Order: sequence, then structure tokens, then C-alpha cells
Amino acid sequence: MAKTIMIVDDEPDNVTTVRAVLSKAGYKVLDAKNGDDCLRKLPKQNVDLVLMDIMMPGTPVREVVEKIKGTKIAYLSVVRLSEAEREELLKSKNIVDFIQKPFDIDDLAARVKKAVGD
Amino acid sequence: MDINAALLKGKVLLLVVPSASYGELEVQVARELSGKNVCYVTLNKTHQAMREIFEKEGVDTHGFVFVDAISKTIRRVPDQTDGCYFASSPSALTEISILVSKCMRHGFRYLVFDSLTSLLVYQDRAPVARFISNIATQARASDSDALFYTLDIESQTSLIKECSMMVDAVVKV
Repeated sequence: MAKTIMIVDDEPDNVTTVRAVLSKAGYKVLDAKNGDDCLRKLPKQNVDLVLMDIMMPGTPVREVVEKIKGTKIAYLSVVRLSEAEREELLKSKNIVDFIQKPFDIDDLAARVKKAVGD
Repeated sequence: MDINAALLKGKVLLLVVPSASYGELEVQVARELSGKNVCYVTLNKTHQAMREIFEKEGVDTHGFVFVDAISKTIRRVPDQTDGCYFASSPSALTEISILVSKCMRHGFRYLVFDSLTSLLVYQDRAPVARFISNIATQARASDSDALFYTLDIESQTSLIKECSMMVDAVVKV
């Protein structure tokens, strides 16, 4: 059965691009327009990985991520962190990756595959 | 880019930067401000990431104090550390303005605002324009030179037009 990925991003163009990449790779793709929308939709779906942007209107991402239990999360963002901050962030319980935008399509697909354990 | 030459055009500048050369410009300007007293407002990178990038490029950041509006959006950080004030998010315009004002009271020679583009993710053009006007006024009152970055993209055209009335010069990089 296809794994399910939820893209959380307020930029429709980004969602379209990521959706196209992941759909082609065989995933079922859902989307949410910000963190609050993600928190509303997530309990109703069986999601294997959330791809979370950082710079979005609404509840700050840190608070959204703290409320997500039992679902893996990978950040997908233009926000730049230092190496040390990135390593620290990846120690958090369900944070599995930090993918920098702009991303390489093949790299994105490979990292999602690794994150969901395909 | 020769920032001192650009600053001959006025004390408050809007630098309109192509996306492709934005990172390069950040470093170039930081190199020119190396070792000087700079209040650096960062809205799309954490201050640690900025220091890491600048120091790799040989910029002396000891005189830089950051206002970081990103770190708090992803992890728990205090309100202030040595060399950095943290705002809760790039959408917290009043908070950022207060932190900039706090910094400027310490007599910073330069204010760098990086970048206006990030503000439009969270806010409409009108509050962003009012905010920029407020920051530009603070910079003038402190007799500081202020550099506002914005990306040269279509969605920013109206903001650039509006901001051109609040700054001394618009510099297309």
C-alpha cells in the first residue's frame, strides 16, 4: 500500500511541485495550508510523513510540531540553520530530516523514501 | 557591491536583489561591514546560521548584534543571549520594532534588515510598509545607515514602489 505524505506549506506553487515529485514516486499526497490546518487534518488521516515548511502564517511551527505525536516530520524550508542547530533539531523525537529549499528533485524523493522507510 | 559608494546616495537604502545573487550579496555587504558595529535583523536564517556563513567568509562579526526572528519559531530559546535578541516570529512586527529600537539605543553605526521579502509571507503589504517606515525613522533618529534587502521578484513590485517613498534611495543590485 502506498505510503502517505502530508505537505504543509502556504505557497500553492511549492505544494504543486512537491506533490508532482512525490506522486510520481508512488506516494499518496495530502496537503495542508499551514500548521493549524495540519493539526486539524492529521488526526483524520493515516500519515507516514509530514513535510513541514517553517515560514508560514498562523501558529508557529515549533508549537505545531510539539502537538504532533507519533508521526514523522521532515522540515522542508528556505530557512537556514547552522550545522549545530540542524543536528540539535534532528535529535527531537519525531523530526527525521531537514531538507533545504531550493531542493533537488531526486534528492527530495530519496530523502522522503529514507524517512518513510521504503 | 561598494556599500560606502551606495551610501553616498542616502542613509536609508532599499537594496533590490536578484534571487540568484542574494546569498552572495549578503556576504559581500557583511564583508564591507566586517568589524563594525552592526544591528543585523535576520528574518530567514537563524543568527547562528548567519554567523556561521559570515565567519566562514572571513567576516569579523564581533561588532554585530542580531535580532533573530527565526530561532523561536523552531526551538525554545531565551529572549536574549550575548549578541542576539530573539523575536517570536517574523510576523511579530511590533516586537521586532521594539528590539530594533533597543539595539539602536546602543549607537549602532549600521542597521541591516534581511529581508523585507520574508515579512510578506506573514503580513499584508500595508502593515509591512508602515513597519518599514517606522524602522527607517528609527535609523534616521539614531543617525545610523540602514540597508533593507528585498528580492527582485514580481510579487514584491508594489512593496518596492511603496517603500521607495520611505527610503533615501532604491539601489538595484
